[in-house]
Amino acid sequence: MENLISKKDLLEAANISYGQLYRWKRKNLIPENWFIRKSTFTGQETFFPKEDILQRIEKIKNLKDDLSLDELADMFSPSPTITSLSADELTKRNIVSNTALEMYNNHNGTTSTFSFDQLLTLYLLDTLLQTGEMNRSEGMELLQILQHHSNEINGKESELIFIRKMGVSFFILTPEPAKLFVESQTKIIAHYKLNQCIEELKLKIS
Amino acid sequence: MEKTKQRNISISGSGTAAGGDYDQVKVNGSAHINSDVQCQVFKCNGSAHIEGSIKTGTAKVNGSSHIEGNMEAEEMTINGSTDIDGNLTCSEVKIQGSSNVKGDLKGKEIIVRGSASIKGNVSGDEVDVKGQVKIGGDCEAESFNARGNFKINGLLNAGNIDIELLRLCEAKEIGGENIIVKRSIDSSGFKKLIKFFMGQQTDQLTAEVIEGDHVSLEYTHAKVVRGNTIEIGPGCVIERIEYKQSLELDENAKIGAQEKI
Repeated sequence: MENLISKKDLLEAANISYGQLYRWKRKNLIPENWFIRKSTFTGQETFFPKEDILQRIEKIKNLKDDLSLDELADMFSPSPTITSLSADELTKRNIVSNTALEMYNNHNGTTSTFSFDQLLTLYLLDTLLQTGEMNRSEGMELLQILQHHSNEINGKESELIFIRKMGVSFFILTPEPAKLFVESQTKIIAHYKLNQCIEELKLKIS
Repeated sequence: MEKTKQRNISISGSGTAAGGDYDQVKVNGSAHINSDVQCQVFKCNGSAHIEGSIKTGTAKVNGSSHIEGNMEAEEMTINGSTDIDGNLTCSEVKIQGSSNVKGDLKGKEIIVRGSASIKGNVSGDEVDVKGQVKIGGDCEAESFNARGNFKINGLLNAGNIDIELLRLCEAKEIGGENIIVKRSIDSSGFKKLIKFFMGQQTDQLTAEVIEGDHVSLEYTHAKVVRGNTIEIGPGCVIERIEYKQSLELDENAKIGAQEKI
């Protein structure tokens, strides 16, 4: 079971009021499925996944002065915003590295503008390359799996997992949040929530 | 590309029409439309049965209509009765007669002056009810004003909630910034008339949980009330109150436990 926090403790910990929490829920800044209802001795209580909600509220509080609530909702929603960026802009604004862009172009042929889906793929590739945990040939495999399944992971709470055992590596893509148990020699190198990556990417682009 | 002038349908008497793209659709008798309709103006003075969805600029129903699909309009007025089997999406909707929506109701301004029953969720900027409304799911709005009777099976979530009770009102949960619940004070003929027909029932709100920044309640039965500043008026029966800043209690309120957090 995930670590949960009750609504009362959450308001205390994040220093927000009931009104704010309800307003953010109304504006779809907090996903419906984070509201977990349970009965306690004081009647019905609402609980939240602790890490997710605290992170989310921190972000909302940081950004709400600069962005309207509707813009924030766009950012948090797993569905892509309709944007496309040119290759020039990508490197100029330092959104992804040149190496990643080059690899992407090698794999797909040169493109001058990128849709949001393509941007996400690029962004994941770049992030993993930057960590130094993934080599170039593995990067190519990553591109393959992401492109193959781009329709199935869209708008869902997908996760990307990168595992290696004795030098053999592979990627796992889940359309829903997954718990994984692996053998002792196996190493989980990366476990990304795509929603969070999308948020980060949207922040970088905007 | 130049747009070709679109045709109108006008049915006076009884008739059947195919769906499609039109400028105006007017029904003065009884009409049966076989499939989806897209138009600028939809007006029904008699009865209409649409075996599909409607997408229109303005819609006015003075008689009765039954739509098997979804209804999408900029502006909609219902003076008679309307049944919609799908969703109703409309930026301004005014229900003066009665209406049933089996799906969700989405709009900016939702005004109910008669009776409305929605099986799904309701969401809008402003929800104003003078009459009766039943909602099967949740109700979300920036402001929710009710002078009448309502039953919400899910969560009522609004920035400003202003309720004047009439008979038994019910919501499973209520949450928002400012929540005010009062017994309606006007003792005009209208209310007496309703009471005469509906029998004597006390005005009362029942909810499991009420949470808000500023909560002011009268004649409310609740399990838990939580908030920053809470005022509890006469007729309240509340099992547990949790407050942050202040709590005012009427002497005629029954409170189980109270706790300052």
